[in-house]
Amino acid sequence: MEIWIRQAPDSDSAKTAKKLADAFTKASGVQTKVVALFDDFETKLNQQAAQKDLPDIVINDTAQLGNMVSQGWLQPVDKAALKGGDQLAETAWKAATGSDGKFYAAPFSAQSFALIVRKDWREKVGMEPPQTWEDLAKLAVAFTEKDPDGNGQKDTAGFTAPAGTKRGYASWYASSLIYANGGDFIKSAGAGKYAATVNDPKTVEAVQYLQDQFCKTKTVNPGAVSNDTTVTHEVFEKGQGGIYLVGPYVLARFVKSVGTDKIEVLPVPKGPSGGPGTLGEGENVYLMAGSQNQDAQKKFAEFAISPEGQKIGMNKDANGAIVRLPVNTTVDMSAERQDPRWKVFQDSYAHAVYAPPVPNWAPIRQTSADTINAVWADCTADVKTAMDELNTKLTQELQSQKAS
Amino acid sequence: MTSTLAPAPRRTRSPGHAPKSVRWRGPLIAWLFLAPALLLFLYFKFIPMFVGLWKSLFKVQTFLGDEWVGFQNYETIITDSEFGAAIWHSVVLALGTTIGSIVLGLVLALLIEGPARYLWFVRTAAFLPVVTTMAAVAEVWRIMFHPADNGLLNIVIGWVGVDPQPWLASEDTSLWSIMLMSIWRGTPYDMMIFLAGLVGVDRTLYEAAAVDGASTWRRLRHITLPALRPVFWILFTLAAIRGLRVFVEVYVLTNGGPNGSSEVLMTLIYKLGFQKNELGVASAGGIVLFLATLVLTVIVQVLRKRQAT
Repeated sequence: MEIWIRQAPDSDSAKTAKKLADAFTKASGVQTKVVALFDDFETKLNQQAAQKDLPDIVINDTAQLGNMVSQGWLQPVDKAALKGGDQLAETAWKAATGSDGKFYAAPFSAQSFALIVRKDWREKVGMEPPQTWEDLAKLAVAFTEKDPDGNGQKDTAGFTAPAGTKRGYASWYASSLIYANGGDFIKSAGAGKYAATVNDPKTVEAVQYLQDQFCKTKTVNPGAVSNDTTVTHEVFEKGQGGIYLVGPYVLARFVKSVGTDKIEVLPVPKGPSGGPGTLGEGENVYLMAGSQNQDAQKKFAEFAISPEGQKIGMNKDANGAIVRLPVNTTVDMSAERQDPRWKVFQDSYAHAVYAPPVPNWAPIRQTSADTINAVWADCTADVKTAMDELNTKLTQELQSQKAS
Repeated sequence: MTSTLAPAPRRTRSPGHAPKSVRWRGPLIAWLFLAPALLLFLYFKFIPMFVGLWKSLFKVQTFLGDEWVGFQNYETIITDSEFGAAIWHSVVLALGTTIGSIVLGLVLALLIEGPARYLWFVRTAAFLPVVTTMAAVAEVWRIMFHPADNGLLNIVIGWVGVDPQPWLASEDTSLWSIMLMSIWRGTPYDMMIFLAGLVGVDRTLYEAAAVDGASTWRRLRHITLPALRPVFWILFTLAAIRGLRVFVEVYVLTNGGPNGSSEVLMTLIYKLGFQKNELGVASAGGIVLFLATLVLTVIVQVLRKRQAT
């Protein structure tokens, strides 16, 4: 049975996936082959689909669900018949729901977003953990102006942000602040229909807040508007920026590369007009269409969501966790992970917001990333006008997906 | 163009001798030698091209089966506001890179032309950018383009008193920055072609010109440049094609951003196909790009012929 996971080959995460698959083989007797791929993951799936030879299992982002359903790649999952399915968090099941209300995956891993902050810098500039957006902006200014690394040069920034458009990163980054202010991209209009809502004042306020960071206070790392996450991780590690709004998957890496006493995790402060909220995301175990091993597919999904499978995927405190936050409610995370910083992510998950189950979220994220990137890159751009235009585009997209 | 090779007079054969197979042996062997390459071309180039053309008429759903939509994909891409901008950026980038590389390539070629021993080293060193993988080159330049005061290029321009530039991070400069890198990479290639062309220039003309007291500039203008005319046409054609299908440098450096300011046709097609999963529309974009390249190549060829006659 072939299992694909969107992780870099030979990475720690890929090794964890291999461990999970081996434990599954031991428990079930089903032989497995793990394929770890990172770049152009969806492209390669597309190639396999064109040959009608999809892998049996794919472990990939929850946000790809609609995309894969619309391509006919996924088999529906019977929640009631999936052993252990009743132990999973309801929020996680939401991320496995298609636009038709059916479940198309077994939830596997969840994540919320929080601020990974240079604790040593914050103490050096003598500031408290930010409680409001205003505090956060002030902290960023201090990081930019007050030489927190003490090298005598003005070479640090407040925020490090992947604000480019690759895979829709600008939108991905802005999401947590949009949700933290009670805003949203689209809202449900009932009966599987949706309406665009990116020009509502709360959403506009969040994007405006970020534009101010880019343009007025200039507290975002230089070049952010063309960076993806790979580059941004390095920017943070090189000490070029001190506040990174990101998921827990990089925590172990930063703890190792920057130093554990220099890193702290703080929740995203709620916005002036709403919140709290952060982006909710994670990975699902997708049972792919056209498989000859349907029984084994189901068994693997059951193993992956079982306490044992979840614990293997969590990989304790070490780098390479493919289960960021366990979705199985019977797993006690603090018993597995000693690092208390994980708990900030877990607490934030309580108010995490998942992308709604539209037929295909990918174009919505990409289109909004293009617009949001534009207002950050062009400081003369009016955020409200741009978001009005984006609203029209999203409305058209929803229409073309027959979801409005 | 007229063929200078007249067909060889057919030898008269006495009937009964030389079986028919002999007549076919020559071409057959030629085709046999060509066959592996042709098969590979057929499988990896021509069939995919036709599949692309075919798919551009469908809503592509790789697993469910495709849905016929006729020319709707073409309509979608041509009316897409980003499409026009992408074409414009592609053209600007192609023109800038072409002209920049040709001018610099010619200057470099003239500087290091000649039989001197040590020149092989200079030539090899100068040629290195061409043989380095584009992705690696772009990654290194991305680091050099770091827009802060401590970015490598900003330090360098700081020596001559120029303020730090945002390079890739601003929509006003992103396309120019990519162009700068492309010129750096394209110049040595053009230089080599020019060097090859310069070898063919008749030396006696220079000597005659020197006797007549012509300045270096006049020799360049009246002997070298006219002699290099065929080289220019080759470079124009190659550069036009290369320029339009530019992808890796943009993808690695900016992915079309910020604010779509460096979006070129190929990155737009890639985005449509593999990030938005609209493979049919992306195929239509590919076909449009193919047609544009074809038209451009034909124009260059026509101009060339007109010049030649």
